[in-house]
Amino acid sequence: MTTMDPTVDGAVAETPAETAEPKGNHLPGLSRICGTTGFTVDLTAQKFIQLNAVAAVVCLLIGGVAALLVALTRWPAVHLLPAEWYYRMVTLHGLSMLILWIIFFEIAVLYFAGTVLLKSRLASATAAWISFIMMVVGGGMVAAMVLTGKADVMFTSYAPLKAHQLYYLGVILFAVGTLIGVINFFATIYIAKRDKTYKGSVPLVVFGAITAGIIAVATLLHGAAIYIPTWLWALGVIPNMDPAVYRLVFWGLGHPSQQINVAAMVSVWYLLSAITVGGKVLNQGVSRVAFLFYILFINLASAHHLLVDPGVSAGWKIWNTSYAMYLAVLASMIHGYTVPASVEVALRKQGHDKGLFGWLGAAPWGNPGFSGFFLSLLIFGFIGGITGVTLGTEQINIIAHNTLRIPGHFHSTVVGGTTLAFMAVTYYVVPLIFRREFPLRAICKLQPFVFALGIAMVSFGMSFAGSYGVSRRHWDIEFTGATHAAGYDASVHVWLAMVGIGGIVAFTGLLMYVLPVVGAVFFGKKIDGKMTPW
Amino acid sequence: MAKQEKAADVIEKESEHHGDEAHKAPGTFVLTLILLVSFAVYYFANWKALADVWHVR
Repeated sequence: MTTMDPTVDGAVAETPAETAEPKGNHLPGLSRICGTTGFTVDLTAQKFIQLNAVAAVVCLLIGGVAALLVALTRWPAVHLLPAEWYYRMVTLHGLSMLILWIIFFEIAVLYFAGTVLLKSRLASATAAWISFIMMVVGGGMVAAMVLTGKADVMFTSYAPLKAHQLYYLGVILFAVGTLIGVINFFATIYIAKRDKTYKGSVPLVVFGAITAGIIAVATLLHGAAIYIPTWLWALGVIPNMDPAVYRLVFWGLGHPSQQINVAAMVSVWYLLSAITVGGKVLNQGVSRVAFLFYILFINLASAHHLLVDPGVSAGWKIWNTSYAMYLAVLASMIHGYTVPASVEVALRKQGHDKGLFGWLGAAPWGNPGFSGFFLSLLIFGFIGGITGVTLGTEQINIIAHNTLRIPGHFHSTVVGGTTLAFMAVTYYVVPLIFRREFPLRAICKLQPFVFALGIAMVSFGMSFAGSYGVSRRHWDIEFTGATHAAGYDASVHVWLAMVGIGGIVAFTGLLMYVLPVVGAVFFGKKIDGKMTPW
Repeated sequence: MAKQEKAADVIEKESEHHGDEAHKAPGTFVLTLILLVSFAVYYFANWKALADVWHVR
């Protein structure tokens, strides 16, 4: 990997040969050292990182196609899909993006952090196989049920909406497979510790991955608590589901699953800071405490989904969405400072010391690993962070709840933040783990900017349309054929057009990511020593 | 220009050394101030919008 790329003057630290003796607890002949980064790669883990990463990208493409169709339907001037297929595509899009793409990639990140960064072997190849197969089968069942019209229940599948029982079974299989993968990661951490493959504490990136893993366990247990009874309800074993209980427990799964993303994304930020500019963590203690805040407080943020729910008290809502939640927000603000500051300190040390922002101008923007990571940081903080804290305020939420402002917010966190960060790290994962060069490098360098622009347009368009009261998940805001005049201010058409155009731009950015990745994995030039610097 | 360290070395050294490092990041500090001001403006605008549609008599 490059990055190590090159320092500005082209100087690259000496790298050991590909054949150098690996460190760690690897089985004989089952590891190698990357000629560029110096990381020791366990070959068994490498295979499962590859499998999960490929599955993730396939899900991203499926979810991206659904996203484009949804965006072009929300744009009234186009209004592409009929109602039935609109809701079907919204369901498919939500599941593919929020669950399948993200979690497959996160399992790859966990295996990477547990093995490559700790110089350890993977605890169990058998468990990794079981995990992967269950996730593929479960994810496939969910997609099949949605596409055949047997699960038009949206991502939330709120009772009393009822899908085919195989849909719930698919979700359960996927969740259990994920849980096995997470346990395999923790077992890997254990054997690395036992075999003393690293000195001192685990690196911060691994610490962040452990945070993601802990939140994942809590999240998946909530998932089991709600999806198993719902599955039994769909089978007819349980006569009915209490919708209020469903909503309460579901958000113990629905929102924390996105907090796994946040922890994983922040870990990727720290990793990319180190890889792309040699950034060092400013203060280990502060950053680790911030990760602990995520574990302790971030799940409370789930309550903001229930701010207009009549089933819970005002006191419960205020407590869970204000004082405690702000400690999780504080954690994000800490990372939001320490990550770019680590970049700034590293670049200033390399001589880019002019003025306040000389380091930013001199940053390696032509490196998609850096540009994707830094744009992810900016979009997540400036758009996602500001809108998220505001919408999570109980009183303000009343004017925003269930409007397009909500997806406007989370497209800037989950897509502009997490997805873009995962895309950025791919520009190093493919050369390091697949040992293939990227083709179409000019497209790769442009990709983060195109994707970021598109998703920012989508986010802004949704937020402004939502400010006019446009509801989320609605097929026809014109209320065509209604007896009485209905609809919204004419200006919302401008914002919804921005959503549609932004969707096209973002989808273009997605294709600019998928095509080079597929090209690299299947047809890329084999890397024998160092990767070509970005 | 100084050399950039290899990623594996950066990660490995950080796990061995947990001490604080004096740092100077004025640009990042200004970025955080911009974020703070943006948040204050957006937050205030939302409370104003709420006050406009939800009168207390």
